[in-house]
Amino acid sequence: MQNNFENRDIRKVILLGSGGLSIGQAGEFDYSGTQAVKSLLEEGLEVIIINPNIATVQTNPRKGTKVYLYPVTPYWVEQIIKKEKPEAIIGGFGGQTALNCLVKLEEAKVLQKYGVQNLGTPIETLVMTEDRDKFAKHLQSLDLPIPPSLACNTLEESLAAAKKIGYPVIVRAAFALGGLGSGFAKNDEELSKLASTALSNSPQVLVEKSLKGWKEVEYEVMRDQYGNAITICNMENFDALGIHTGDSIVVCPSQSLTDDEYQKLRKASLKMVHSFGVIGECNAQFALCPETSEFYVIEVNARLSRSSALASKASGYPIAHIAAKVVLGNDLISLRNPVTGITSAFYEPALDYITVKVPRWDLIKFQGANRNLGSTMKSVGEIMAIGRNFPEAIQKASRMVTEQEGGLSQRVFRDLSEEQLAKQLEEPTDTRLYAILESFRRSFSLERVNQLTRIDKWFLAHLKALIGIEFQIKDTIRESFGESVEEKLLLGFDSVSTETWKQWKSWGFGDQQIAMVAIEELKAGSFAKAKSIDAAELSLNIRKARNAKGIRPVVKKIDTTAAEYPSPSNYLYVTYEGQFSDKLPEDGKQGVIILGGGAYRIGTSVEFDWCAVSCSENLQKAGIRSIIVNCNPETVSTDFNCSDRLYFEELSLERILDIAEFEGTNQLIASMGGQLPNRLARGLAANGFKLLGHSSETIDMAENRSKFSALLDELGIEQPTWTAVSNLEQLNSFIESVGFPVLIRPSYVLSGAAMNVVYDHESLKLCLSQALEISQDYPIVVSQFLQGAREIELDGVASKGEIVTSIVSEHIENAGIHSGDATTVVPAQRLFVETVRQVKRAGRLIAKGLKLNGPFNIQFLAVDNHIKVIECNARAARSFPFISKSVGLNLATVATEVMRGEKPKLSRYIEDEMPYVGVKAAMFSFTRLQGADPVTGVEMTSTGEVGCLASNFEDALLLALEASHIPKPQKGVLVSAGMEKEKIKFLPAAEILRDMNIPIYATEGTGKFLQEHGFEVTTLPWDMDQILSLIRNRTVDLVLNCPKNFKATELSRGSTIRQTASQLGCSLLTNMEKIIVFIKALKYHEDTKPLDPLPLPPYRHDL
Amino acid sequence: MRQQVTLQLSNGDVFHGGLIGAPMKASGELVFTTAMVAYSESLTDPSYFGQILVFTYPLIGNYGVPDMPSGFDVRSTIGFESNKVHASAVIVASDSAEAFHWTSRQSLHNWLLAQGVPGIVGIDTRHLVHLIRESKNLLAKVTPNSGGEKRLLGSLDTYEGEGFFDPNDHQIIREVSSSERKILGKGKCRIALIDCGVKWNILRQLIELGCEVELLPYDTDLKSVDCSAWLISNGPGNPEQTGGVIGEVKEIYEGDRPILGICLGHQIMCLAAGFKTERMAFGHRSHNQPVYLLGSKKAYITSQNHGYMVKDEDRPDDWEVWFRNVNDDSIEGIRHKSKPFRSVQFHPESAGGPRDTAWILHQFVAEIKRHAK
Repeated sequence: MQNNFENRDIRKVILLGSGGLSIGQAGEFDYSGTQAVKSLLEEGLEVIIINPNIATVQTNPRKGTKVYLYPVTPYWVEQIIKKEKPEAIIGGFGGQTALNCLVKLEEAKVLQKYGVQNLGTPIETLVMTEDRDKFAKHLQSLDLPIPPSLACNTLEESLAAAKKIGYPVIVRAAFALGGLGSGFAKNDEELSKLASTALSNSPQVLVEKSLKGWKEVEYEVMRDQYGNAITICNMENFDALGIHTGDSIVVCPSQSLTDDEYQKLRKASLKMVHSFGVIGECNAQFALCPETSEFYVIEVNARLSRSSALASKASGYPIAHIAAKVVLGNDLISLRNPVTGITSAFYEPALDYITVKVPRWDLIKFQGANRNLGSTMKSVGEIMAIGRNFPEAIQKASRMVTEQEGGLSQRVFRDLSEEQLAKQLEEPTDTRLYAILESFRRSFSLERVNQLTRIDKWFLAHLKALIGIEFQIKDTIRESFGESVEEKLLLGFDSVSTETWKQWKSWGFGDQQIAMVAIEELKAGSFAKAKSIDAAELSLNIRKARNAKGIRPVVKKIDTTAAEYPSPSNYLYVTYEGQFSDKLPEDGKQGVIILGGGAYRIGTSVEFDWCAVSCSENLQKAGIRSIIVNCNPETVSTDFNCSDRLYFEELSLERILDIAEFEGTNQLIASMGGQLPNRLARGLAANGFKLLGHSSETIDMAENRSKFSALLDELGIEQPTWTAVSNLEQLNSFIESVGFPVLIRPSYVLSGAAMNVVYDHESLKLCLSQALEISQDYPIVVSQFLQGAREIELDGVASKGEIVTSIVSEHIENAGIHSGDATTVVPAQRLFVETVRQVKRAGRLIAKGLKLNGPFNIQFLAVDNHIKVIECNARAARSFPFISKSVGLNLATVATEVMRGEKPKLSRYIEDEMPYVGVKAAMFSFTRLQGADPVTGVEMTSTGEVGCLASNFEDALLLALEASHIPKPQKGVLVSAGMEKEKIKFLPAAEILRDMNIPIYATEGTGKFLQEHGFEVTTLPWDMDQILSLIRNRTVDLVLNCPKNFKATELSRGSTIRQTASQLGCSLLTNMEKIIVFIKALKYHEDTKPLDPLPLPPYRHDL
Repeated sequence: MRQQVTLQLSNGDVFHGGLIGAPMKASGELVFTTAMVAYSESLTDPSYFGQILVFTYPLIGNYGVPDMPSGFDVRSTIGFESNKVHASAVIVASDSAEAFHWTSRQSLHNWLLAQGVPGIVGIDTRHLVHLIRESKNLLAKVTPNSGGEKRLLGSLDTYEGEGFFDPNDHQIIREVSSSERKILGKGKCRIALIDCGVKWNILRQLIELGCEVELLPYDTDLKSVDCSAWLISNGPGNPEQTGGVIGEVKEIYEGDRPILGICLGHQIMCLAAGFKTERMAFGHRSHNQPVYLLGSKKAYITSQNHGYMVKDEDRPDDWEVWFRNVNDDSIEGIRHKSKPFRSVQFHPESAGGPRDTAWILHQFVAEIKRHAK
C-alpha cells in the first residue's frame, strides 16, 4: 500500500472526537484527543474539533482551536467542512466512531468534493483491517498466521462455517466497538443466537477457531511515513484468551514471554504496519500458544485505542502527542520525546517496573445484567497500578479499583463451597480475581487453579505466595497478641521485625489491609474485643510502628529509559522495592496536592477529570507546584504535561500521607475528583492536611443526612420528608404518614441496585424480598417521593459562605430520574421567575449555613412554585463542564481561585445573558449489557454524556439526542405509553407524528387509547414475536416505551421490548417528558431551515 | 532465608542483598542492561565477560532457563549465546523462584548455581544505575557473608587481593575466543569468522542463510585462511587489548573480499582503518538503541552491548560513517568508500533484542555471493 501523504501546506485541520462515553469507547479518547490538540497547536495549526462530548478536556475552548459540539456523523462533519474549509482531517484519535465516520465520508466522496486530505493511515487500510475477509487474505500474503475463520453474511453461512472449522468457535462482528455481538459458541444453538444478534448490528460476522486458553499479547506500534516503526511496548493479558482485552487484567510489559517469543511477535507487528502503510499509531493483538509458542494474529486497530492510552501511561511514552506529529508528516527520528527531553521519539521505552491494569465493572448497577465475562466488553473504566514486582502492583490495583482498603484480602467468596468456588474460577465474572485468592486460601493447588482458569502459572504462583504472606500476617498476629488484644495491638506490631515489615510492605500489603487481616484473625479466634477495633485507627498505629523501624516507601520516576539518561520527567510512583528515592528538581514552589477521581465508573467519569485538569492549570498559572494523584490511565489529568508532579498512585490515606511527606506539603484539594476524594477528606484533615476550599466540617455536614437536614430545618428550607428506619414497623408507619410512593435507600445492598422507588405494598414486598435487608445493623433511609415534580440544579462556587457565582439548570424529565441520566437544559426553559428566586435564595442560605468555600451543586424539586432541597454536594459536580461551557465560565477555575484564597471578581453571571441554550443528554451502553433492563430511574445507569449548544432549545435538544444516538425517526414509531396519565400526555405528540406522516405502532393498551382518540394506529396484540419483529425488521426506528408500573409481568414484557430495541441498536426513549419535548422539537425542526453549525464560544474570563 | 551478600563498589558505597546462584566471591566492572527480556542470552553473551551485570528490569527469571547445551547447535540452543555464563556476577531486584514456561527446565537460581555464578537480589537496581551513570568506570565486588570460593573466569582470578577486577585491563579476548579452528554449516559461501567471543546467533543466522562458517581463534594467522569473506565477531572489553587482531585485519584490508565487523569486531576494524576508540561513560547495553542510516530518513532499533566507542575525530579518508546513534549521534557503523568492508557497533543478529537489522547479514551474504561470481 502506498502512503498517501502529500506534503502541502496545511493550516487548518479537523480532528474528530469519539462522542459520548460508552462501554468500549470511553475516557481514553479524551486522553488521545487532548494530546493531539496540544501537539497540533504546537505545530502552528488551527484545529477544528468535532465532538459533542462537552465534559472532555479536548472540547475546552482554547486559543487556536474551534470546538464544534456536534454529532460525529458524516452529515455534520460535511456541514462543518463547508463552513470551515479545512485542508485536512484526522480520524485516528476519536476511536471507532471517528474512523467509521471517516470511512463513510470517503465512501460518499465528501473529502474529495471539498479537497480535504485524510492525514494518517490510509482509509483503504482502515477498511481492510475492519473487513475480516480482506484482512485475512492480506495477512496470508504476508505469511502471517491467522486463526482459521470464515466471513459470513447470513446465519446459514455462519452455521456452515462452524461445521467446517469445528466447535468451539468465536463469532466476531465487523465494524463494532468493543467486540459488540461477539461471543463463543459450543454448538449450533449457541451460534444461532449469537450470529443473529451480531448480524443485526453488522453486515458481516466472522466465525473463527476458538483459541480459548492461549495467551493474549498486544503490541503498540508507531510508524511514520518514511517507514520508520517502533513498538512502544507490549502487554500481556493476565486472563487467557476468551475474555475481551478491555475486560482483562493486563500487565505491561509482558512477563511470561521469552526473548524469542517477544521478538517474534514484535517483528510480526512491524511487518503488518509496514505493509498496511500505517502512519501514526497502531495496535496489534496476538494469541500465543502456551505449549508450543506458535502464534496467530487476532486483530489490528490502525488507530489510537484504549490499549494505546494504557500503553502510553504504562511506558511513559506520549503516544498520542507523537502520533499527532507523525500524521502531519514529521519523521520519528527528529521528533524528541517531551517526557525525557533528550531521547528521540524513535526509541522504545525500557521499563524498570511493572504495571497492572484492572478493569472496573459496575455490573451491579444494572439490574439483571449477566456478570459473566466473555468476548463482549462490559467494563466501564479501569485503573493502572505501578510497582517493582507483580504482587505489589496487583495489590495496589485491587485497592484502587475497589476503593476498599482491604484490597485482595477482601473475602468476597468466603462462604462458597469448594465446588462453587471452582465454578467461579472456570466461568469468569467481574470478581474472579477474588475467587482465585479464596481458592488459594483453601489450598487449591496451582495446577488445579491453572486448569480451571487457564491463567499462566507465573501469575498464579505469585497470588498463591501472596496468600502465604497473608497467612504469615495472621500467624504473627496470633503469636504476638495472646489474650489481651487491645493493650497489645500496638505493642504486638512493635514486635514485628524490620525484615518482616519489609516483606509485608514489598508484597504490597497496605497498612489498613494488614489491620483488617489482623482484626479478622482476632475475630476468628473469638477475641470479644476485636470487633470494637477500628481498622482505620489501627492502620495509623501500624504506620507508626513500621515508621519506627524505618520502613518507608521510596519514590521512583517513570522516564522511558530505566534511568539510562537523566530525565526531567515528573511522572512518579511509590514503591517499597527499593532503598533510594529518585531526586526531583527543587522548584522552590509551594506544593498543593490535587486528588483525582480514580477509575471511571457509573457516576464518576471524564467530568471530574475535566475539573481536576482545570484546577491544576489554574494552580500552575498561579506559580504553585501542582501535584496530581490519580490512578486512571484513561485520563488527561495523568498526562505528562498536566501538572508539575504526577503520582500515578492510590487514592488512599496511606499513600497520600506518603506523598505529602515526600513533597513536604500538607495542602490538598479534595473537591475536584468526585465522591472518592471527598470521602477521604475527613481522614486527611484529621491527619494534619490543610484542605483548600471546603473544610472537612462543611463536607461532613453536607454529606451527613441528619446534620444537613437539621441545617435545612434551621434555615427554614423545605425538604422531602425522610427518616431512617431499622425495622418493618417503623417503615410502615412512615409510609402511612407520607403515603406512597417512597424512595428507599438501603445502607446495605444484597444485590441489584441500591435505590428504589416503591409505589405500593406489593412492590415494597418485592423490594424487601429481593434486594433489601432491614435490621438494627443495617438501617435504611426512606423518604417521601414527589411525583410530577420538576428537578432543578444549582451549580456554583462560594467563597467563605458567600456565593461567587451560581447557575440554575433544569431537568427535562420529572423527578425520579437520576441527575446523571436526566436530560438537562441551561438556562431553564419552563421555570417561573419565582421558582428561580427561591432556588437562588436557598442557595445563598445553604452556602452561608454550610460555610461553603469552593465548588458546590445543590439539587431541588419544585412543585407549583414550592421548592424542596434534595441534596447538596460540597464539591465539584458532574454537571460542571456542561454548565461551564454552556454559560462560558469555567466553574472549576473559579473554584480553584477561591480555594487558593483569591477573591475572584464577583461575576454574578446571569443565565439570561447566555448567547445559546445548552442541552445535556445521557449516553447509555445497554447494548453491551445483556439482561439489563434499559430503563432510567433513581439509580444512575448512563456511562457518559453529550452536550450541545444552539440558539434555541429545540435545536440544542435535537443535536444532543442525535449525539446520544437518538436520531430523528423516519420509518415508524413503536409506542407503549405506560400509565393512563402518560397516555394522555402522549396525545399531542401523536398529533405531531401524524402530521409528519410517521406511522405509529402501539402495544395493546396504548393502541386502543390512541384509536379512541381518533388516531390511525397499528395496534399489536401481546404477541412478543410480532412486536419484536417490528424492531428486528427495522419497520420502526424509534421505540417509545415507558414502564407502567413495577409489576413483574409488565416489567418482563416492557423490558423485553426495551432490551430488544437496545440490543439491536434501535433508538429507545423510556421517559414521557423526554418523549414529548423530543417530538415537539421534531415538529419545530420541520418548520425551520437547516441549522448552521456554531462553534463553542470562548470562556468569558479568557477574553 | 537467603544468605546475605555484600556488594562493594569502587566509589566506596556498600550494599547488602540476598544470594542467588552460587555462594562465590567475584569482582568485575559494574554495568547495566535495560533489556526487559533475554537474561539467559545476555548472561551467556561472551561480551559480558568479567562484568557484573545489573538488570534494570526488576523481575528476572520469569520464564526460567532451558537445558544448558554443551555445545553449539543451530536449532536446539535457542536461549543461549554460548555454553557458559560469562558475566562475573548478576544483580537483579527480584528473581522468580519458579518458572513455568514450556521450554524451562530450571530456575534462574538453579542455573546460576550450576554455573558457579553468584547473584544478588533485593538491591535497589535503579539506584545502582544512577551510580553507574554518575561515576565513570565503576567496579564492584560481590562477597557472600559466609564462605565462598573465588570465581575463576577462564584463567583469570576475578577476586584478587584488595582491589577490584577490571576486565578492560586484561587481554580477555583469549578467554572467550575459540581454542581451535572449526567449520560449522555447509555451503558455497565460506565465511572466515575471527572469533573474539562470538555470539551463537551470528552462527545460527549465517548457517540458516546457507553459509559455511569457519571459526578462527583470535590469534590465527589470517594468511593461512581460505574463504570468500571475513566476519570479525563481537567480544568483550577494550578493543586495544586484542593482541594481534588489529594488525591482521589491516592486512586483509589489502584484499577485496567482503568484510563485516560486529560490535568489538567493528571497533577492531575501525582501529585497523585508522579511527580511534575510547571508553564510554557507561556504555550502551540495551535492546532499544536507535540508529539511523546516514543520507536517509531511515532508522532502526538495535540490540547493543558495548563499553567502548569509535571516536568521531580524525576519521580516515577512505571510510565513511554508515550509521549513527539517534540519541547521542555517536558512530554506529562505518563502511569503506570503495571496497565491500562494513562494520556495525550494534548486533544485527539480535538474540536477545529486536530483529530490525537482520537485513545487514542478508546483505552481507548477498554481497559475498555477488562477489564470488
